[in-house]
Amino acid sequence: MQTLDRDLAERAVEVAVKADAEYAEARLQRSVDQVAVLKNGEVEAPGYGETLGLGIRVMYKGSLAFGATNALERSSVTELATRLTKQAKASAPYFKEKIRLSREDVHLAKWRAEEKESLDDLTLEGVISYLKDLDSVAMAAGTDVKLVSRVLYLATEIEEKYFVNSDGSKIDSRVPRVMVYAILTGASGGNLVQRTAQYGEAGGWEALKRIGVREKVGEEATMVLKILRDAAKFVPGQMDVLVGHEVAGIMAHESVGHPSEADRILGREAAQAGESYLTADDVGLRVGSVEANVSDDPTLPHAYGHYLYDEEGVTARKRRLMAGGVVTELLQNRETAQTFGVDSNASARAVRYDREPIVRMANTYVEPGDYTFEELLKEIPHGVFIKNFMEWNIDDKRLNGRYVGHEAYMIEHGEVKGLVRNPIIEISTPKLWSSVHARGRDMEFGAATCGKGDPSQGAPVWHGGPNFVVKDIKVGAR
Amino acid sequence: MQEAGPVDWATSRCRSLGTDDFSVILYDSDEGQARFGNNSLTITNRLLSKTLSVYMTKGRRRILGELSTMERASVEGFVERLFRSMNTAGGESDFPPLPGGPFQYRFNGDFDPKISDFDLSGYASRTIDAALSAGALRVAGSLTTDRYKILISTSTGVNQSEERSQFRLNVRSFTDRDASGQGIAVSTSLADFDVEAAGRISGENAKLCRHPEEVEAGEYTVIMGPSVAAEIIGHVADATSAFSVDAGLSFFAGSLGKEVANPGFTLIDHGQIRNGINSRSFDDEGVPTRSDPLIEDGVLRTFIHNSTTAARHKAKLTGNAGIIEPHVWNIEVKGGDQSLEEMIRGTKRGIYVTNNWYTRFQSYTRGEYSTLPRDAAWLVEDGELKHPVAGIRLSGEIPRQMKEVDAIGKERKWIQWWEVDVPTLMPALRVPKVKVTKATG
Repeated sequence: MQTLDRDLAERAVEVAVKADAEYAEARLQRSVDQVAVLKNGEVEAPGYGETLGLGIRVMYKGSLAFGATNALERSSVTELATRLTKQAKASAPYFKEKIRLSREDVHLAKWRAEEKESLDDLTLEGVISYLKDLDSVAMAAGTDVKLVSRVLYLATEIEEKYFVNSDGSKIDSRVPRVMVYAILTGASGGNLVQRTAQYGEAGGWEALKRIGVREKVGEEATMVLKILRDAAKFVPGQMDVLVGHEVAGIMAHESVGHPSEADRILGREAAQAGESYLTADDVGLRVGSVEANVSDDPTLPHAYGHYLYDEEGVTARKRRLMAGGVVTELLQNRETAQTFGVDSNASARAVRYDREPIVRMANTYVEPGDYTFEELLKEIPHGVFIKNFMEWNIDDKRLNGRYVGHEAYMIEHGEVKGLVRNPIIEISTPKLWSSVHARGRDMEFGAATCGKGDPSQGAPVWHGGPNFVVKDIKVGAR
Repeated sequence: MQEAGPVDWATSRCRSLGTDDFSVILYDSDEGQARFGNNSLTITNRLLSKTLSVYMTKGRRRILGELSTMERASVEGFVERLFRSMNTAGGESDFPPLPGGPFQYRFNGDFDPKISDFDLSGYASRTIDAALSAGALRVAGSLTTDRYKILISTSTGVNQSEERSQFRLNVRSFTDRDASGQGIAVSTSLADFDVEAAGRISGENAKLCRHPEEVEAGEYTVIMGPSVAAEIIGHVADATSAFSVDAGLSFFAGSLGKEVANPGFTLIDHGQIRNGINSRSFDDEGVPTRSDPLIEDGVLRTFIHNSTTAARHKAKLTGNAGIIEPHVWNIEVKGGDQSLEEMIRGTKRGIYVTNNWYTRFQSYTRGEYSTLPRDAAWLVEDGELKHPVAGIRLSGEIPRQMKEVDAIGKERKWIQWWEVDVPTLMPALRVPKVKVTKATG
């Protein structure tokens, strides 16, 4: 397997600058992936991949061009860098809104995500053996009624990058990741319950233990069968909702994180991922109650969306997106930061060498409060605890969200009662966040793959938060 | 042939290592793109990539690998690593040998050399101008071309290659924050790639749907324009995959030979079809692709297979491998007998939706979903478009809705964009009793 030839990336930047590029950056990126799928106990063909390539981005008089190649000879790289600069020059008249990048500090850095049990040493035998064990755990759930289908998927990735730009930044990084995805289905007496669950972290093989994937898959399998057997029809109505960690995370991601992406606000993603209910003037706008506090932090250790420098060489930091119900900060890359007249907050991410860096979330979450779980329950005379969800979606301005419960329980007079089936929160973003009443102190995060960009870029992210209470909202049923 | 180098090196090493079977595929792609927003280009892309895909088997073990470095030493080393991994992986399973042939291939010649000189920025500009002329105030989109070659060599003697071209445009026009329209152009040839028409349609719809109003939640007859219908039918096509059936995720399990849709509904998968931008004359196992009705006159005729699923189902090959999952190539829904105007005229109370996104499932197996309309949509009352609407969500169960389709449009359009992966030649569909909901607050 080839090593990263840093000279090639530096050469690309030199060639572009020599060809008149005002700015150039190059990202040499290598990924090693292993993947295995177990379908109802049966092993599908496992996969192993090695990807190595160079992405180059150049700017000329407000015209931006991105290119990539995996032909890593000096001549090919020189040719691509030259060609991209010519492309930027030729396209410049069509850039009616000239692109400028914010000025950012120069960094010379090397960083690695923590990895105790190196994925370099991982074999497919280990991956498949782990999945077989998970499958046996899922199969052990239930007595008379068993799961009718199990699909288990395990993927590992080692991502190594060398970033260089014409400002002088040079950054080396290595991030290993592990991810498990499970689809568990139970069926009995004409009823069917299905659960998808994703677990992931940045780290080595030890991450699976840290997450407790084995225990969690067992619990999920048991719960699918319990819901199938015990869950009562949900009676819709106006009530309080105790939102579980997982639901808190998806709400934060969908209705605070995405609309805070500055490129969406500026209309750059309008034809694909859409725009935002926020406008360029909405920093300072009150959207929620004082209890609505949402942040995004790429630097969280072990997080699936962990990074210390973004793909434009900017130092990562925590971003307070909504504080006390007020929009406080947007997610910015160098292009949008220049337009907004602020500094980049390191939101530029690219998932492969052949993808341009665009504004992305990393790890988005509702900030913790100070309530215990029991204290949160006491706030609810009549309501429902929606612990996690299956179906969800939101409109492309991020105003109209829907979250359909999977594991959900009625709450009466502060006590958790029986399981109920599929309560639906279908609510506007301001109504949701202005109804937040109290937040728990315990945090949990979950992994997801966030979609955006054209060509498509599925980015690893965490989202999470505490359990929190939403007061007096309409809850529907399927 | 110069490009065959990595394929030769990989197949030769597969043979010398003693694999039982192998299939080696080289994808060589030159993709160009111009993206635009606010009537201005936002970036131009040029993505050059070669990817070598290697599938090999030995006894009851197999593995699938992908490599992006094409030097001889890298390729041979990669094949050796795959072979070692396969032998130690411990993942034994039952699968048949690769299909043996001999096979006859027919390349439909759908390649346009004009793609080499295509002026991405100029055509993007023409798109924007057409949309603005039709009434748009802001225009965004992406215009993409891909010139690619695919070479395959298998242990069963298959050696094929073909070169293809794709032209793709997705444009979205705005006249207000809540008023937008979509336009799509998809083709394998420049002659059939009408960016001005796509721009104009998006601009016209954005202009026509200004000042949308709310509607009451409830059950409506929904006229799904080709973009919406194609997105939903994509999930129907997924459910015909034997992998989905075996995984317990298909709502068509146990339905072969049964009525699963309106008797006027016919869904065909085409390995090759003119302007089908995902056309291939061979699948990943070297089996010739075909045109197969998946649903014919409302009856489910076949699942789609690779050799492994075909053996498990004791079915014939359909030319749809995917080594792990069989998949459709380009799908076509046969046109019906009603114009869009007739479908609207025949609707007492309904909603006409031109685009949607973010379809998600509570249960894949039951096809229980919801999706969000975006871009132009109108309330239909007494056979007429009453006023534009926004802020709604559609939900239901796909299997039920397939049976309840009560009108199929006669005009069809190729659809492929961010939300619709598989190129789909699609008419409008009219579906009664669709649940329409709104967010509270």
